[in-house]
Amino acid sequence: MSNAKERKHAKKMRNQPTNVTLSSGFVADKYVKHHNGGGKPFQRKKQEPHLGTSRQRSVKMSPQLSSEPDVNEQSSSKIMFKKKGGWKAGPEGTSQEIPKYITASTFAQARAAEISAMLKAVTQKSSNSLVFQTLPRHMRRRAMSHNIKRLPRQLQEIAQKEAEKAVHQKKEHSKNKCHKARRCHINRTLAFNHRQRKNIWLETHIWHAKRFHMVKKWGYCLGERPTVKSHRACYRAMTNLCLLQDMSYYCCLELKGQEEEILKALSQMCSIDAGLTFAAVHCLSGKRQGSVVLYRANKYPREMLGPVSFIWKSERTPSDTSENRQLWIWLHPTLKQDILDEIKAVCLCLEPIESSVCIPNPLLTPAQEKSQTGPDDEKISKKRKRKDYQDAKSVKKLIGDGTRDPSQPRSWVSSATGITVSDLTMELNRFRLIGPLSHCVLTAALKAALIHTGEADTEETPHHWWIDSCKSSDSVSLHQRQEAVFQLLGGISSPAEIPAGTILGLTVGDPRVNLPQKWSKALPDPERFQDNEKVRQLLLEGVPVECTHSFIWNQDICKSVTENKISDQDLNRMRSELLVPGSQLVLGPRESKIPILLIQQPGKVTGEDRVGWGSGWDVLLPKGWGMAFWIPFIYRGARVGGLKETTVHSQYKRAPNIPADFPDCLAGSRVAKEQAKDLLEMYKRRPPAKRPNYVKLGTVTPFYCPWEQLTQEWESRVQAQEASEASAPGGKESDAPVPGKIHQPSHEASREPEVMDTECQDQEGNERVLDQDASEKLVTATGSQLCVLRNRKLLKQLSVWCGPSSKDRRTPCRGHQDLTREACLSILAHFPRALVWVSLSLLRKGSPEPHTMICVPTKEDLLQLGQDQHYCGPQESRHSDPFKSMILKAKEKKKMAKKQNQGATSSEALAPGAPATGQEALTLGLWSGPLPEVTTHCSRTLLGFVTQGDFSMAVGCGEALGFVSVTGLLDMLASQPATTRGLVLLRPPASLQYRFARMAIEV
Amino acid sequence: MAENREPRGAVEAELDPVEYTLRKRLPHRLPRRPNDIYVNMKTDFKAQLARCQKLLDGGAKGQNACTEIYIHGLGLAINRAINIALQLQAGSFGSLQVAANTSTVELVDELEPETDTREPLTRIRNNSAIHIRVFRVTPK
Repeated sequence: MSNAKERKHAKKMRNQPTNVTLSSGFVADKYVKHHNGGGKPFQRKKQEPHLGTSRQRSVKMSPQLSSEPDVNEQSSSKIMFKKKGGWKAGPEGTSQEIPKYITASTFAQARAAEISAMLKAVTQKSSNSLVFQTLPRHMRRRAMSHNIKRLPRQLQEIAQKEAEKAVHQKKEHSKNKCHKARRCHINRTLAFNHRQRKNIWLETHIWHAKRFHMVKKWGYCLGERPTVKSHRACYRAMTNLCLLQDMSYYCCLELKGQEEEILKALSQMCSIDAGLTFAAVHCLSGKRQGSVVLYRANKYPREMLGPVSFIWKSERTPSDTSENRQLWIWLHPTLKQDILDEIKAVCLCLEPIESSVCIPNPLLTPAQEKSQTGPDDEKISKKRKRKDYQDAKSVKKLIGDGTRDPSQPRSWVSSATGITVSDLTMELNRFRLIGPLSHCVLTAALKAALIHTGEADTEETPHHWWIDSCKSSDSVSLHQRQEAVFQLLGGISSPAEIPAGTILGLTVGDPRVNLPQKWSKALPDPERFQDNEKVRQLLLEGVPVECTHSFIWNQDICKSVTENKISDQDLNRMRSELLVPGSQLVLGPRESKIPILLIQQPGKVTGEDRVGWGSGWDVLLPKGWGMAFWIPFIYRGARVGGLKETTVHSQYKRAPNIPADFPDCLAGSRVAKEQAKDLLEMYKRRPPAKRPNYVKLGTVTPFYCPWEQLTQEWESRVQAQEASEASAPGGKESDAPVPGKIHQPSHEASREPEVMDTECQDQEGNERVLDQDASEKLVTATGSQLCVLRNRKLLKQLSVWCGPSSKDRRTPCRGHQDLTREACLSILAHFPRALVWVSLSLLRKGSPEPHTMICVPTKEDLLQLGQDQHYCGPQESRHSDPFKSMILKAKEKKKMAKKQNQGATSSEALAPGAPATGQEALTLGLWSGPLPEVTTHCSRTLLGFVTQGDFSMAVGCGEALGFVSVTGLLDMLASQPATTRGLVLLRPPASLQYRFARMAIEV
Repeated sequence: MAENREPRGAVEAELDPVEYTLRKRLPHRLPRRPNDIYVNMKTDFKAQLARCQKLLDGGAKGQNACTEIYIHGLGLAINRAINIALQLQAGSFGSLQVAANTSTVELVDELEPETDTREPLTRIRNNSAIHIRVFRVTPK
């Protein structure tokens, strides 16, 4: 009998009463019966041990011969006990075992004992489960565990007992805290503060946490995507309606000082070649937002730091000195540290200000407060608690920033240049509204602040700054103009109609006051669409410079606005005290006035199709007011998106996603490394048979993009071509700089594999990721050669060359050269190892994914495409997997070692070490060891990789974005005929099928 | 209008693709009613025709049929708008009538400077548009 069966039996028997041993089948039962019924049971039992051996022997010798039935029966039953499987031996034995007589009284007694035991067994339930859990499924009811009366009547008593037991088992709540006290706000705030030690919450965190999948990223807790299924709904919101995003995790750096000094310092960090800089006239006046790519000082085009957007405070300042300018730089949190350090270095700002004038709250105090209030709050009295509540509230307010150590200083000043650099992260909220209805949402949710007319009860209100500003007629008229411009927005159907980056300052009333009763969608009002001169002025010129003024630039006003916010509780109480329920709440002078800044985001500006897609407005608010604006926006029909929607937005805009699509900046490579690690882990989690064998598919790097190696290989390829055509006389002078440039890298290329080789041999684990590490380290040591082409002139040139038939339509464009050898060489001389951002749209089927390979089609492919309209693309032939046999060998070795181990335990210490390292280095289905030549590994030459790719709902076919090597691109373009220029092949990492795509470079 | 035209001429003289990049902005448009159809050159002709037909017929789900629809075409799409309207009329056995209006739409072109010292400029360009009203008449 199997072990499992035994166990099952034992389990069945576990709760049987001990006096009735029903153990093995009916024979045993009989034995018991007889035993009890047959009188003198104890005597017999006593005898058994002595007789056991002899009896057995006798039975074995002559079972039939034994004349005494009593003895015979006993012995047989005994044998059966020993055998356990009584059933088998049963039938032969039973016929002879009928006793000759029974005594009625003893028999009845024995039966009575049995019955009582049985009854006991029935009332006791055998399993661990509760009563309602044992019910069959169709008899179960909702909330049975809670409400006993939902159970069948006969089970209710048992359930009652169980419930009582459970109550006793439950942890007792502390008696000094009632439910309300436990839910008391002070403790919640403390708990919340405690929970955001590592990852800071945004102000809308709790709202998000209820509705979103949250991720911990970049020192914040951020909503990744809604829990409801809403991919397409969010896309529709971006295209036709309004999508709302909380971008408060973006960091803001403030530079204050003289304009010339700031410009002089920052001009080292950017180049006019890559687009407009900080000094652009319209940005400098404060009229528009600008965006720029920052580099390490004087290192352009290498050592990129990251893309930022910036706004200057307009020059017209009512109170400040006219000399000082203010500049806000907004950037992604991953880029912050590098850029902040560089800006500090460039501005020579190295003296930290501890308790400066502009930021009077150093972050040291909240930490102390927290530690103080934390332990004692159990013992303190209620009054104390109330006081503490205020403290806790201030703690919550002050808690700032996930990207910075709280003890660090947050502003720095320079005595030489007079520039103050301060870090305003988490001092402001930034909400992004995307989509054509964002105008309606904004105009419906926000109302410009009322102007103070009378001097009545001025001392009562805390909003002195507003009263002061209302005293001067200048600022009142300015406010009215701003309001008029804001109202005009309601008559414009899309934010894309307004000049890109327009800034509008405004002071608004409390948006909670006119919150509608129910959710409703704000729709455009046709009456507001008047074709008048004012609208035309706005569309042509944008917002006038003076209207960009906002009090949000003033730290003190922001602070007072944050502190004097009426709490939600008070506001609701006042609402409930209204005479007519549901009528408009009029706060009069007590109503808060909030300075805000609206910044237009241009959406898709490059390319020719879907112009202005994804345009919208960014709203900047002082901190503490996040939820007060968030809910009104949602009540006006905005749908909320998370980080995933941000990626979708940038993908459909065909813009690089920050920071993943910046391979030449540190943050970008860091993100790529993390992603590679995650993907590798995910891959390893699957069984080998259920995951693609990337070696056989010819995908060398399925989890990351080896940009360094790609550019190097292309460089040496072209170099080799040059060498073979050395006899050609053309282009001698342009050749001249090339050899010198190429010698060094080729030397490096020969050296690098060695390094990786040695690294690989002594490393175990995620060797692929580490390889990347090693190569990156090497390159950073030798001075990073990799760069992304951002020179606008060259990009324009390339974009024209990439076009399918550049000659006929683009003749008026002067200044563009033809695609010639000389032109190519001049580009390559400047950018020997460059990548360029391209967008690809598939001609037919296929939806690309990240890390898809971009390859050069051969002439035959293009020929076949021309002949056959339904030609999908060539197929890669299956590669062989040289690592599989190695893995198998390693496995066998391990087995052998194990066998040996079983023999000789002494060598145990040595044996497990060796195979473990061998096995970890090789993962089935992944390329291990140093990478082969990536460009020529497959049948089509590799040109680059896709970084974002998916089916595009905006275009209706697969679309991808990625980088290709400039050297490779020029080589390919030169060899392709003009009609099919710009056609490439795409192959996802887990597929053998190539698909045709058209490449475009959009400037 | 006149004062907007004036700088335009001045700009034309100094305009250089090396110094400016042309960006076309979206045309200013009115809020769309359900029975407005803006014809473009990207979507397939048949699909646009079917969309109009569906609006007039009342759709698949038994929605209220529109008694009239407006087909708008701008620039290159004027031809296609006319084509769609005529196709609708031809396929209706005399139950549909068309009435066309033409207009001029002002389009804004933005000139983005390539150098820091220049201001961005805007040019106004006019383009023709057609608005065709397709409506049902009770056949006698």
